[in-house]
Parts: sequence; C-alpha cells; structure tokens
Amino acid sequence: MSNSVFHFFLLFLTLFLHLTIVFSWKKEEFRNCNQTPFCKKARSRKPGYCSLIANDISVVDGNVNAKLIPKTSDQDSKPLILTLSVYQDGILRLKIDEDPNLNPPKKRFEVPDVIVPEFETKKLWLQRVSTEVIGGDSEPSSVVYLGDGFEGVIRADPFEIFVREKGGKRILSLNSHGLFDFEQLRAKKEGDDWEENFRGHTDTRPYGPQSISFDVSFYESEFVYGIPEHATRLGLKPTRGPGIDHSEPYRLFNLDVFEFLHESPFGLYGSVPFMLAHGKSRGTSGFFWLNAAEMQIDVLGAGWDADSGISLPSDQARIDTLWMSEAGVVDAFFFVGPGPKDVVRQYTSVTGMPAMPQHFATAYHQCRWNYRDEEDVELVDSKFDEFDIPYDVLWLDIEHTDGKRYFTWDKVLFPNPEEMQKKLYAKGRHMVTIVDPHIKRDDSYYIHREATQKRYYVKDAKGNDYDGWCWPGSSSYLDMLSPEVRDWWVEKFSLQNYVGSTPSLYIWNDMNEPSVFNGPEVTMPRDALHYGGAEHRELHNAYGYYFHMATSNGLVKRSNGQDRPFVLSRAIFPGTQRFGAVWTGDNTADWDQLRVSVSMVLTLGLTGISFSGADVGGYFGNPEPELLVRWYQLGAYYPFFRAHAHQDTKRREPWLFGERNTEIMKDAIRMRYILLPYFYTLFREANTTGVPVMRPLWMEFPYDEATFSNDDAFMVGKSLLVQGIFTEKAKSVNVYMPGEQAWYDLRTGITYKGASSHKLEVLEESIPAFQRAGAIIPRKDRLRRSSTQMVNDPYTLVIALNSSKAAEGELYIDDGKSFEFEQGAYIHRRFVFSDGKLTSINIAPSASGRSRFLSNCIVERIILLGHSSGPKSALIKPANQKVDVELGPLWLRGSKGPLVLTIRRPNVRIADDWTIKIL
Amino acid sequence: MGLALLALVIFGFASPIVRSDSVLGVSPQDEEFYKASSSGSIKCKDGSGKFTRAQLNDDFCDCLDGTDEPGTSACPGGKFYCRNAGHTPLYLFSSRVNDGICDCCDGSDEYNGSIKCPNTCWEAGKVARDKLKKKIATYQEGLNLRKQEIEQAKLAIAKDEAELSKLKSEETILKGRVQQLEERKEQIEKAEEKERLEKEKEDKKRKEDAEKSKAKSEDEKEIHIQDESATGSTQNNLEGSPKDQNLRLKASLHRPWRSKKISLSDKRLTERNTSINPCVVQIPQLIAILMDKDVPVSSSYVLNRGTEVEHDGNFDNEGSLENSIQQHAAVDEKETAGISDTDLHSGSEVTHDQVAKPEKDASENTEALSKEELGRLVASRWTGESSEKSEEDTTAEDGGHDNNEQTPESTHSEEYDAYDLENDDDNQMYDDDDNVDDSMGEDIGDEHHYNDPASSYRSDSESESDLSEIATTSNPSWLEKIQKTVRNILQAVNLFQAPVNISDAAHVRKEYEDTSSKLSKIQSRISSLTRKLDNDFGPVKEFYSFYDRCFESKQNKYVYKICPFKQASQEEGHSKTRLGRWEKFEGSYRTMVFSKGDKCWNGPDRSLKELQQKLDEMNKEQPQSHDEL
Repeated sequence: MSNSVFHFFLLFLTLFLHLTIVFSWKKEEFRNCNQTPFCKKARSRKPGYCSLIANDISVVDGNVNAKLIPKTSDQDSKPLILTLSVYQDGILRLKIDEDPNLNPPKKRFEVPDVIVPEFETKKLWLQRVSTEVIGGDSEPSSVVYLGDGFEGVIRADPFEIFVREKGGKRILSLNSHGLFDFEQLRAKKEGDDWEENFRGHTDTRPYGPQSISFDVSFYESEFVYGIPEHATRLGLKPTRGPGIDHSEPYRLFNLDVFEFLHESPFGLYGSVPFMLAHGKSRGTSGFFWLNAAEMQIDVLGAGWDADSGISLPSDQARIDTLWMSEAGVVDAFFFVGPGPKDVVRQYTSVTGMPAMPQHFATAYHQCRWNYRDEEDVELVDSKFDEFDIPYDVLWLDIEHTDGKRYFTWDKVLFPNPEEMQKKLYAKGRHMVTIVDPHIKRDDSYYIHREATQKRYYVKDAKGNDYDGWCWPGSSSYLDMLSPEVRDWWVEKFSLQNYVGSTPSLYIWNDMNEPSVFNGPEVTMPRDALHYGGAEHRELHNAYGYYFHMATSNGLVKRSNGQDRPFVLSRAIFPGTQRFGAVWTGDNTADWDQLRVSVSMVLTLGLTGISFSGADVGGYFGNPEPELLVRWYQLGAYYPFFRAHAHQDTKRREPWLFGERNTEIMKDAIRMRYILLPYFYTLFREANTTGVPVMRPLWMEFPYDEATFSNDDAFMVGKSLLVQGIFTEKAKSVNVYMPGEQAWYDLRTGITYKGASSHKLEVLEESIPAFQRAGAIIPRKDRLRRSSTQMVNDPYTLVIALNSSKAAEGELYIDDGKSFEFEQGAYIHRRFVFSDGKLTSINIAPSASGRSRFLSNCIVERIILLGHSSGPKSALIKPANQKVDVELGPLWLRGSKGPLVLTIRRPNVRIADDWTIKIL
Repeated sequence: MGLALLALVIFGFASPIVRSDSVLGVSPQDEEFYKASSSGSIKCKDGSGKFTRAQLNDDFCDCLDGTDEPGTSACPGGKFYCRNAGHTPLYLFSSRVNDGICDCCDGSDEYNGSIKCPNTCWEAGKVARDKLKKKIATYQEGLNLRKQEIEQAKLAIAKDEAELSKLKSEETILKGRVQQLEERKEQIEKAEEKERLEKEKEDKKRKEDAEKSKAKSEDEKEIHIQDESATGSTQNNLEGSPKDQNLRLKASLHRPWRSKKISLSDKRLTERNTSINPCVVQIPQLIAILMDKDVPVSSSYVLNRGTEVEHDGNFDNEGSLENSIQQHAAVDEKETAGISDTDLHSGSEVTHDQVAKPEKDASENTEALSKEELGRLVASRWTGESSEKSEEDTTAEDGGHDNNEQTPESTHSEEYDAYDLENDDDNQMYDDDDNVDDSMGEDIGDEHHYNDPASSYRSDSESESDLSEIATTSNPSWLEKIQKTVRNILQAVNLFQAPVNISDAAHVRKEYEDTSSKLSKIQSRISSLTRKLDNDFGPVKEFYSFYDRCFESKQNKYVYKICPFKQASQEEGHSKTRLGRWEKFEGSYRTMVFSKGDKCWNGPDRSLKELQQKLDEMNKEQPQSHDEL
C-alpha cells in the first residue's frame, strides 16, 4: 500500500471516528451496577438479610459503644465495633468498623481532613443510656437524648439505629430493612481469586472484597434530594420498585465523563454522599455518610419490599434508600432538621461552612479553551470595554502553558504574563490560570523532578510511580492525601516559585477526579497506592478534594494569609465548600442542559457547596444565539457566573451575535452587577449558616407542596424568585409563585398574587424574575468596567411592601478581599420598613476594636413598590433633613413598567443608623 | 483620508480654551443645549422628561438617556466629554467617570479625589501627532505605490492583450496546419489499414484451430473462480457474495452516495448500536477536499476498503474504478473478503498490517489498545484531533516520554482560524469607521501588523511552468519554420504509393503530434491569459500585478500564504491547510475574500478575508520584491 494512500485511509478513519463518537456518551466504558460486584451483590439482597444484633452496649468516653455480632454464632465472623456519639444541634454520629484488637490485615480507610476541628468541640459527652423495650423485642433498646426533643435509638435485635421525636415518631433510621452488610478484610487464602477485570484493566484487589451496604429510611417524606453530582432532576426519582423501569442506582464516583447526558443517575465529577428528605408534615431530615470509596445509592420506590413479607415496625409513610460502598468504614451522620435550613446548617457544621469568596469572584467570569495569546487577551478585554460590558475575570485554559507543564507559560504566546496581568488589574480585573494534578513526566520539568525525587507521586500496585495519560501525555499524579505533599504544593504558588504570576492571579483546578485518559473508566486504577498504604479505591472520591485544598492553601500562603483564595474545582467532595467554587463540568450547548443546570446547582447548594455554576453557553457545541442569550439570562443568577467554551466551538463572546443580542446579554450581565450587593450578602449568609445562595423553592416555602419538585424556578436568597426559560421561541410560561404574599416583577414592578400559578408572556429581553413582597433588596445601579470600581458607588434600596405595608432586608459589606471580616471588620445592616418609616439597624456585633471596616458609601435612591403615590417628601433622622419623593423609573436602563415611588437622593451613609419617614 | 485626520487634530488644537461656565462632561458644541432654559428647565434629549439647572450633574439620574448627568456616572447610558487640550477630545462611557482609572489625558474624568490624574495631553498629543505624520507619510507612499501599480498594470495589460491577440491569430494558422496534417495522416493510416487487413486474412485461417482450444480452457477457469467466491462469502459472514456485493456497488455508483454508505457499513453501524449520523454526510466531501481533487461519489467505496487502492492506484474517474472493482473482485476476491471481515471488532484477521491499526482504533475496542494508544484516543475526544496521527510519532519515538507534547496541541490551528475569521469581521468593521479617535487608538495594533514578517513573491501558478516554451511563439520565425516543415512534408509524402513508405508515415505522424501539441499549448496559454484578464482587478486595474504574486506572513508558528486571485493557505511545518480559494473583492476593494477552504473541524468551511490595506503595507515593507516584478 503506498504511503499516501495509507495516510488517506487513516485520515478517513479518524474523521469517521470523530463524526460518530464525538456526539455520544460512551456508556459501555463505564461500569454499571451489574458489572460492579459489590453493587450487584447488595442489590440482590432481600430485606431481612442482616442477622446482626447489637451486644455489649455501654458508655465509654462519652460515646455509646456496642458490638455487632451474628445472631447465630458463626466462628468465621468477627464482631464489628459500633460507636454512637451525639453533637449539638441534633446530630447523631454512627461509626462501625472492624475491631482493631482482632488484627485485621489492614486498617480500613477513614477519610481525614473533612470534618472540621470545631465539630469535635460540639460533642455532647454522654453519661448514660436509658433502655426501652420496643414492641415485642426480646432485647431492650438503648436510647440517647439528642437535645431539642429528639432521641437516638440503638435497637439490639434486630439491629437498627433510628432517630425519633422524643418518645414518638421516627425521623430517619438505618437497617430497618435488614440490608446491612459489612465485608471484613481477610488474609488471602489459596484459591481466592479477587482480581477484577474491566475492559482490559485489571484490578488486583489485594485485600479482597470489603464493601459495606445498608438501608436508610426517611419518614414522612415526600421527596429525597442531594447526593450530587448527577445530571438529574432536583427531586430524586426512585431507581427501583414496582412500575419503575430498570435503572442504575445513583452512582457516586468522581469521573470525567465526556459529554454527559442531561438526565442520568450516572456519576459525574463529584460525590457528596449527603441526602436530604423533605415532607410537608414533618419537615426536613438528612443523612450523610463520610466515605470516599465508590458509592451507589438506590432510591426505592413505594412497595419495593412488598413481596418480602417484612413490614417495618413503623407504619409511617417513608422513603427507603439503599447505600452501597466499595470500601471504607461506616461514619454516618443523622440530621434531624426540622427545617431545610436547619439540616443544611447541621451538615455544614460537620463539613464546614462555605468560604467567603472575594468580591470580584462573585461577578462575571469570561473563559474559553483557549484565549490564545497576550494579544487575544488584550483584544477580548478591550472589546468588553468597547461595548461597555462589565467583567471581572479572564481565564486561561491549558494552552497557556509550556507543553501542559503547569506553573509555566508558553513563551511564544505569553511572553510577558506579568505585564498582561498588571494591565488587566489596572482596570480592576483578575486572571485565572489552570493548574491540574497530572504532572508531565519530563525530567526537565522542575515539578516532576522534585516530585519524583521526594516520592510524592501516587504509586501503582507494584509500587512504582503511577504513569497515566492526560493532557501532557505521559503523566504522574501527586499524592495529595499526604499532608507533606500538600505542604510542598502550597509553596509552588508563591510569587517567586510561580514565575509569571502576580497577586491578581488565581487558580483553576481541572481534571482532579482524577481524569486519566488511559485508566479504567478514565480514572486511576483502584489498586493504586497512596500515602499510608491507602488504596485508591478507598479515597478515590476525595482525591480532587485534597488537591483543591492544597491549591487553596497555596493561595492563602502566597499572600501570607492576607488574601482570600479563589480556586475553582471540578471534582467535589464533602467539605469542598471550604476551599472555593465548583462548576458542573463539561456540559453541552443544548436546552436540556440549560434546564438541568438549575437542578444541579440547586443540589450542590443543598449539600453545602453554595458557590457553583454551570458553563454559560454550554461547553461542547455551538449554542444558537437564542440559547446563548437565555443561558446568560439564567447564568446571571448562578452563584458562580462564568461563560466557557470548548476549543472547537466558535467564538461566542457577548458581542458576536448582532447588536440586539449584545444588548440583551449585556443587560443580563448588568443585572448580576446591579444585584452584587444582594449576592454578596447572600454569600455571607452561606458563610455563616451554610444556607446556599441559590435555593430550591421548598427551602423558603417548606409547607408548600407545589414547590417540592419544582426545579424550573429557584430562589436567590429569600427575596428573589427566578424562572428559567428552557425552550426555544417560548411565547409564554407558567410560573408558580409560592407563599401568601404577592410578588413584584423585577423589571416592571407589576404585582402577582402568591400561592398561585401565573401564565406569563415570555420576553426576549429577560427571563421572569420576581421580588418577594416584604423584601428589601440592595442594589448598585451604576455601570462600571468591573466590580472593583463599584466599591464607592452609592446604593439603591428597593423596598417591596407586603400586604401589611412592611418589608425588610439585609446588607453585608466588607473589604471584599482580606480575612479581616473574621475579626469583625464588616458592616452588616438590617433595613426594616414599617408604618411608613424605613430604619437602618446595625446587626454586626460591636467590632472588637482591633479591626473595623469603614465605608463612605451612601444611599442615592430608595424605591418603594406597593406604596400609594401621594407623598412628596420624606424626613431623614437624625439629620432632620427633608428630601424629595417623586415618581421615577424602576431601572435606569430599559425600564418597562410604570413609574414608581422614589425617594430622591436621601444620601444617608450606608454604615450609619438612620430613619427615613415618608411624609 | 490622511489630510482629514490631520485637520481633525488641528481642530483639536483650535479649541483648547475651557470656559469657566462650561458644564462638566459636555462638548463645546453641546453647551448651547444646556443653556437653552428660559423656563428654568432643560429637556432630556430623548424627550422622556425634563430637569432643572440644579439637577444638572447633581449625581442623580433624572433622564434615562443621561442628558442631565454628562459629568457624572449616575446614568448608565451617559457619555462624558473630555476636552483633552493638546490632544484629541474624547467621549467616554459614563461608567468611566470617577472609577479610579485615568481615562482622559487631561484627567477630567477623575475629580472626586480618589485618584489624582496628571494632565498628560501635551505629551500624548505629541506622540499622536508624530504617529499621525508617519501614518500620513505611509498613506502618501501608498498612494504613490498605487499610482505606480496602475501605470504598470496599464503596461502589463497592454502587453498581455497584445500577446493574446497575437496568440489568437497564430492559433488560427496552426489550426489550419494541424487539420491538413491530420487529413494526410488519416490517408496514410487508411492505406496502412488496407495493407494490414490483407495480411490478416492470410494469417487467420492458419490460427483458427489454436484460437478455439485456448478459449475453451479460459471458460473453465472462470467457473472455478466463481465457486471459490461463494465459499468465501459464507465463511466470512458477508451479506451477499462478493459478486453480489460487487454488483450492488456498481449499481450504487449511480445512486446518491448516502445510500451506498449505508449498504456498505450497515454492519458496522449496527454493531456499534449507533444510528447513522448525519455528519457522516460530510466524509466524501471532506476527503475530496483533502485530496484536492474532484473525487466522484465513489470515493467512499475506496475508503471503506482501503486495500483496493493499493492495487489500482488510479481511481480518478468512475470508469476505471468500476473496472478495478470488477477485476479485483474476480481475481483477488479472497483478500477482499478478508478485509471486509476485519470489520472493527476483529482487527487480528486483517491481512495488511497498515490497515490493522486504524481499524482497531475505529472499533473503540479499547482493550486491545496499548495504554498510550488508549490515552491518546480518549484525549482525542476532547481535542477533536486524530489519535492515529500522533500514534505514528510515538512509534517513531519508541515510547519516549519527553518529546511527545505535540499530541494534544496540533488542533489549535483550527480553533484559531475560526476565531480569526470571525474577528476579522470585527476588525473590518473597525477599520471601516476609521475616524480620528479610532485611528489614534489603533495605531499600536496596526503597527504590529506592519511589522509582521511578511513577504511577497511570484506565485508558482499552474500556467507558469509551460510558458517559457510558449513564450517563443511570439517569435515569427518559429511559426514560419513550422509552416515550412509542414509544407515540405505534405509535398514529400506520396499517398498513392503502396506499400506505404514507413519513414514518411512516421514523419507525418511526428509532425502532426508536434504541431498539435504546440497548438494545445498556445490554446492553454490563451485560456490562461483570458482567465487572467477576466478577473476583476479593481476600478483602475490597480491590482493587476498581484495576479502573479503571493504574500507570506508569519504569525507565531503559522505561515499564512496569500496568493490573490488564486488561493490562501496556512502552513505549520509541513502541514498545510487551505483557507480558501479566491472569490472576490469586497468592501470597495479593501478586502479580499477567499472562500471554500478546508472544513474546520466541527465547523463550517474555512474562509479568509484579508484586508487590502494590510497587503498594501506589506508591499511597501518589501520594496525589493516589488522591484523583482
């Protein structure tokens, strides 16, 4: 065959490959439950399978200890050690592990550095347990008091753990269906064949099967939520049960999935094994299993156990779930609620509060794979200015590096990176560069050299540095489980070590699942070895978390602890919220993916990860202008607002689609900037309470059943309702507006009745958004190049009166950059309007004196929605000054609605106490 | 243009005096508007409302169009005017007022004390004026250049037209000669034919017996082959026998290719459980483009069964392809069947090693891949690039880790192209409304282009190579010589002589061939000249000399090669991507449009718009190349 013909043939095959493969998710490349022995086995068990009973219940060191032994004495089976402890705020913690005194072949992996140290200080020191015989049990159960009228119960035989209202109804329980199983480690005997093969990859499984599974039931619940990351609806659909088509369980296994589907229980980039259940009558509860191995979770449809003959000791309506994990221990937390925000607070008291982001990071980010070179960066930057569109951060993807060696720059494309960053920063703009965990195996690359010498790489099953394939080609992966490796990594971000970096440069951690192109399921082999002899299978889901942690700490260290870090991560684990933002990974430019982005972001928020968003525009493919515009309109309300695109897509910066579309996208971005004071206040709320910035409707309206499965609309804070538009050429949309109070259209000020559905005309220029009656929203209406220049701009307060002509809202301000706010250097005001009078109240604890935050900002405009339009003036106290009240526009640009009552130039200082009375 | 720019700058100097009663952020021309208020109120420009003198610049937005706040940032839609005495006045978005960044060189946009902006207008103005002077000089030089081009074009056109008319008259003469020679040749051939027939008659009888027996034996052989093919097809699990398949293929050559595609690869598609992707439609087109040939629909056949190509390399026209299929199926059917069977999941059976590797990849049967191949394959999903291509590199490197970074990077070109093209639109828009403000700001950017390592040179166009010979046609003695020779031949050869004098006949034939080849060369020159002259060379034909020139510009690792009226390409090392074929001028001859380039991955055809201005400048930068012409 002649050479040219041969090439020609190759070329054809290549094209064929791309044209057919590129557009499909390679389902067969990933293991399904049936191909996963622990999952298959656990799924096949029948209720009542577990024969363990709890024995030797005693109080030791403030905990309740017990042994789990088989009911029928079995020589082979060693007892398991159970520990139950209680923490403030209604949290019950259950640990089950092998007995270390019986010399298991290996210590099972417990996930370190996820539970925050403060949590231990909240432990309640148990003195004793009371006993109670339940039903016809032969053994008495042990009861511990959880506080706030809740109790935890260890039922001895059959073994079961549950939480209940004191002496009353169950809230949630474990092993009520007897599906508990714990495969203990064994020494390998002759004839034991533990190897597993999947698509040419061999997992040696040197320790054999070690899985754990159990059932968890949530009582009086109508929906379960959480356990990200899946591209599914907000309310989790059952995966098994009568009338349910065959479905995989919800998989929690951090994977780099090429072109993920918009509705699938398949595992994506992150894993948070935390589930919330909610029902109208009882409220919300939560269950969290701290475990970093592969997990599979079934949501069981009603009647799934109908033919088992076992009926629960409680006749309460409930949702049953089955939790299965490949390895690790049981370290589970029960949260009693009772409100949705209580559960989120309880969960984040264990795994940590979301970090307070820098102010700029809450604004708009412009990203693309790739902004080619310095000239390109300058051009894009100048185009934003030319069109007077604000943006805060410009991102550089992998191509900015010298051959995918992170911390380096392509010398041709980016010869003067510092100057480039300084130019951006002169306009108050920041830059983000990508740093991934795979390190190019190149002896001339200092990171690789050091990591090799210091033996900082993850090892393969044979003990050699694991060699996988990623962007740079042959790569090794830093073992971020090791605190020593993390400390070393932290130093790499110093301005001296990261040549070409400046203080305005922040970091993006991608591919940290980890993504390994030639690994099993595009990730690392499960028998790879980490620090302390841990197998990769035991900590897989937390690998990216440790990397994110180390990077984030690197940025803190870089500034000597002065500057809040900003690190975006793709991999997710419980606790990720402490280290930065996440995004939902490589989505696609289609309408379904726009829709599913809402439930994905909402779910992340429910599980503590408040600072998240989806790629605006969709990463793969070219969005039609209409889709892109709608995505900007929705994305402006994501907590993390970033546009991003794959390198094969056409350019899609907001000015490339004609004047009209440019204007609409600009308006969407401007909406975000105008609402930044509100958003920043919400970020602070998340930082102190764990309650997410973007919330499902039911979090604000927990008694309104119509909201429970609504994931087309969402709340931003408690004052703003946003309805997405997810279809092409939509003419109208039904918007459900919950609660008794009315809603004011954000653009026009027109009111809509609460607790009802409204069919609304859909406009091209915006998606429906509404301010809740009774809410005050702070805005900054002046347009700037970036949020940095908005610092001294005056505020506008929009007061939406409720039926009793009252409203309230909050505003949080700090320096937007440093950690001084932790010492009280911030302003926190509450605005209350009632009886025709607006009052500004300080709600910050009196500053400790050491550090204070000052602001000279004033309020330039106060808008009153729902007020009669008679008054002509208002009186400011204590200044005793009269100001004009007139009719003015609700928005300074593109105002559509009727004029609204406006207090003109009150010019009161935002930091001061004052009242303004309408005369 | 240049003079206009200068005039504007001078105008800028002419109004530097700031009157104390002027309104902040208002241009001198506009000041009247803000005074016209006998009733004490001023109207918003958009008619939406009115405001009092006290509300003017009171840092509160009363007019949605920003009329009342020309000097503050209170209205998001407003514009701020800075006088910039000593330099060019400037309108800013109101978002720039008091934002802590100095935008006006006179510092007037920052007055709230948060930052002190020194007045740098004089210095900036000087720099700008110097630049402007330079630019004017450049324009003037460009104008001269244009004049020269026009002059030269006139001469060149006259020359070409003269040549054309001369060639045409020569063509007429030569045509006559060729016809004469042809007639003579045919007469000779008739005579020869007659001779031959007689000779054959004698031979025929003698050979008859032998012929018969030979024919018989060949029939037997054919039957045997057909049997074998039937067996092969069953074994190899083909849908029909190769012969059937062959027939179907032949039939499908006349059908739209899409249906053929399905019939050929339906097995593959079913096994992969993939529906037929409409994007497959692009393959033959793509291939055709990549081959740079007008490949007929049948190419997809060849592509699916790579081995045939080896045997009958020539498949430029359908006829020969059809032949090759027939021959091939009959003679070498065993191998064909083998190849068909290698369908994707059974790479091991492939007879040709070269085929084996890509087929394996295509199968996605990743178990059979080496770790590195798998890594590249998976990576290629994101990068959209060929994993096979890099595979070769790797084999060459013998698995070395250090030098294989080219892998994921080579697709940039495509993305960048797509980007360039779109942004060129923007640039164009920019350049079009090239007013004073813009040209000032743009200078830096433009200069960058000027400094591009660009060069122009003669294009090696298709017609060029033959021209040296043809060029001598303009020599009249040459034509006479031909005519003379022809005359001599015609006289010398006696047609009625039998048997035909062999050397005379050869002479006539040779002369006929020579003359007709000369004729066809002249004709091709005529057509290329006509084609050339048919082009739109601009209103005064100022681009005439561009026809035979190419321009090269190196930008980073890419070399952009632009041959006006022909094509444009982008080269990186040895790989060449065609950006487009010449289409036309656009935008009053300021832009050259090349279209229908190679397909962008996942995107539309490439196309290129090259700014004429840039080319002008490139010429100027390289005067020596201009002289060479």
